[in-house]
Amino acid sequence: MILPIGPVHPGLKEPLRLKLKTRGEKVLSAEIDYGYIHRGIERIMQGKTWQKGIFLSERVCGICSYIHTQTFAETFERIAGEYAPLRAQYLRVLTNELDRIQSHLLANSTYFKAMEHETLFMYMLALREPVMDAIELLTGNRVNMGWNVVGGVKMDIKQTHMDQIMQIMNKLESEYGRYVEIYEDGPLVGGLRSKDVGVMTKEEAIMARAVGPIGRASGLEHDVREQHHTYKDNFDWNVVWRKEGDNFARTMNRFDEVWESISLIKQVINNIPEGDVRKKIDIPAGVAEWRNEAPRGEVTYSIETNGNLIKNISIRTPSIMNIDACAKYMLNDVATVADAVATYATSDPCIACAERVTILDESGRVRDFHGVHNINSKLKG
Amino acid sequence: MSSVIWYLYEFARKSWAENFAAAKSDKEIMDAPDRFRNFPEVHKEYCIACGACTAACPAPMAIKLVRDEDNAHEDGFTYPVINNRGCIRCGFCAEVCPTDPKTLTCGENHLIREDFTILPVDKKFVIDDYLCIRCKKCMKTCKVGDAIVEEDNKIVIDQSKCISCGECLKTCPVKGAIKGIHISNVEEQKEIINLVVNSLEAKIEAEQDKIKDIVGSDVYSFDISAVELIEDAKKILDDDELIDDIIENITDRLKLRVITWDKDKCTNCRLCVKECPSGAIKYTSEEGVVRNPDKCLRCSICYQTCPFGAIGYYISRFLYKRDEAEKIIHVTVKTSDLPVRS
Amino acid sequence: MLDGLKDIIRKSSIHVCLVNTGGCNGCDIEVVALLSPRYDLEQYGIYVHNNPREADVLLITGAMAEQWKDKLQKIYAKTPEPKVVVAIGNCPLTGDVFNQEGSSVHAPVSDWIPVDAEVSGCPPRPSEILAAILAVGPDAIAARGRQKL
Repeated sequence: MILPIGPVHPGLKEPLRLKLKTRGEKVLSAEIDYGYIHRGIERIMQGKTWQKGIFLSERVCGICSYIHTQTFAETFERIAGEYAPLRAQYLRVLTNELDRIQSHLLANSTYFKAMEHETLFMYMLALREPVMDAIELLTGNRVNMGWNVVGGVKMDIKQTHMDQIMQIMNKLESEYGRYVEIYEDGPLVGGLRSKDVGVMTKEEAIMARAVGPIGRASGLEHDVREQHHTYKDNFDWNVVWRKEGDNFARTMNRFDEVWESISLIKQVINNIPEGDVRKKIDIPAGVAEWRNEAPRGEVTYSIETNGNLIKNISIRTPSIMNIDACAKYMLNDVATVADAVATYATSDPCIACAERVTILDESGRVRDFHGVHNINSKLKG
Repeated sequence: MSSVIWYLYEFARKSWAENFAAAKSDKEIMDAPDRFRNFPEVHKEYCIACGACTAACPAPMAIKLVRDEDNAHEDGFTYPVINNRGCIRCGFCAEVCPTDPKTLTCGENHLIREDFTILPVDKKFVIDDYLCIRCKKCMKTCKVGDAIVEEDNKIVIDQSKCISCGECLKTCPVKGAIKGIHISNVEEQKEIINLVVNSLEAKIEAEQDKIKDIVGSDVYSFDISAVELIEDAKKILDDDELIDDIIENITDRLKLRVITWDKDKCTNCRLCVKECPSGAIKYTSEEGVVRNPDKCLRCSICYQTCPFGAIGYYISRFLYKRDEAEKIIHVTVKTSDLPVRS
Repeated sequence: MLDGLKDIIRKSSIHVCLVNTGGCNGCDIEVVALLSPRYDLEQYGIYVHNNPREADVLLITGAMAEQWKDKLQKIYAKTPEPKVVVAIGNCPLTGDVFNQEGSSVHAPVSDWIPVDAEVSGCPPRPSEILAAILAVGPDAIAARGRQKL
């Protein structure tokens, strides 16, 4: 029997259709339909200056909006062959890690909601609010920050901001461990509904091109921050990864990355160098590509410019690979439908990122699009 | 059982009990930090109506310039108006505002002074009523309220309000219906126009033999290199963009009428000599009937009069291709559809 | 008497369905943040359930992508009376930054279904959403319910 879920459904925040092939309560396989919130953002950016494009890139995705602007700005800096001032690079790391913390907490809270553990869901959201406060304090808005520019960041950080962020981080660090413990060892959750559910092995993760925490939970020891010049040269941190590849590993991987982010933020505040936060960069004509580690994995921008206007831009977001990996490898032989929805939630889907295409047939009707793995066969048929 | 004990342990924690007893909504949730960017505030007394905010705004419907009614004592204020339903609260308008103190304030973004300026434009935009199709797309895109208005069934640009941003030019579907005219060096511009028209005419006159062969609805087209023309024009005024604009503007509407004269068919009946309104056609016994092109008005009366088909009447149009490596003017010549008077 | 009772019940228990019709997801997570203990939407009797068939309030966040042209009207038809539609963020109001040349959005939402209340901002802060919903939500639903009777 085929069980359709979505596009508007109590279990899903964002519009997407899951088609679960079931026998009884057991889920045999799954198929995913995209294309519900395609806006054509890359096409809108063409022919605009970077000053306008950076606000558009921010609105690719509302949860990881920060990393999109950073990658956009760094791609332009690469075209010019220059780097932002060191203080601006530190501030970018600071905001990026704050954004990663709030995104991971949100992702885990939706997972707890999907497995009906309201208490932890509320705990996670309560932890997330001070982090959102820190972001708003620093940048002026909670979600779409408008903080990056090509050649640095807009405003300098003040000493009072640093104190307040440090305070928030200390509080988070002292409370956070207890909530992780509830999940890890607590009698209700630990292993009960998350261990050995939705397993994806390392080979499957490579086949599905899984990135970010989803790939790292399956044993892919890969983080783009290792290659990033700021992280590589100035900070002391580790790549978090696990071997199991089940729901438990994915959730715990995100929990552990928050520890790393907290330590990175503390390093930034303790070691931030003096200097300008913004310099003027003249952009020549050229093409460049740049990748960064978003909360969900690797995001790639490739931009062609004529020096003034964006001629061509292509954005590759991590969600599309992860959602594909979820549909193809994680949702095979799941014991119950409820587990399938929870497994889908732990793959941290961000549909707004993933929407790059709506396929219309000649008469203008929307055709189903089931993801990258199926696109070739679908287009032929 | 273990879970019950665990919950009892959880409830017995002191901090939990305190929080539970003192549960209330936080008063601070309505407060925003200093840097919070709310909708920009407008201080209209400082505005200089430069249009930098409208040019910089990334959202299409967020900001417009309006102008108050003038009264007896003073001119009305011109100032930006923020549409809260379109504004994305990025604060970019406050950053680019060039006035001091700033007209727009938003969070702490107005403290940034970055050298992003829109270039002062030396162009004036006008709508060519002959080519305008009244689609009103320009009215919708105009960044200034009421700068493009409809008067007597014509679309006109109100020059007192236009900020010469050139947005209307981008949306206009008809080539040449909205023109950017350079305000400076008017006398030199006239000279360049004369030069271009005269040299185009001379080029077409040189092709007379081929034009004569056009029959029916055939079209004869050829390319003229514009390189020499631009070189000549540069001697008058050395400004590449201005010359390009002028050539494009005049070729968009220019319609040159061409008169050809077939000596072999002429029987010297002298009907045309009497009809010619400007006296451009003369008859002498030595040369027969002769047309003087400098006096000729290209009114086509001779063409309609001639019973022998000695006179041809053609219309040529032009397209200036400025984006190609070697700039060329594409010329199309076709027969006019005028009936021949019998 | 019966009307008064119905008013009280309608005002004190409001089910909300969140529909993202093509936005950046930012407004959705601000609505999720409203559920957090700090803002605590549920203390006002408002419950975010995401099921149109039992919703009193439809929250629209998004600029009407291609696929939603017919689907949103179906969802609106499925929602039982009395119903109130609230547009959150700038996308449903004007199309925000997406409503430009080359995009595939069909903003505003009010072209497709009637919109009763709106909250502007990109995205609005949770406190702004909360204030707007409380200002308009309960009374509007009660009034809408009386109209039908």
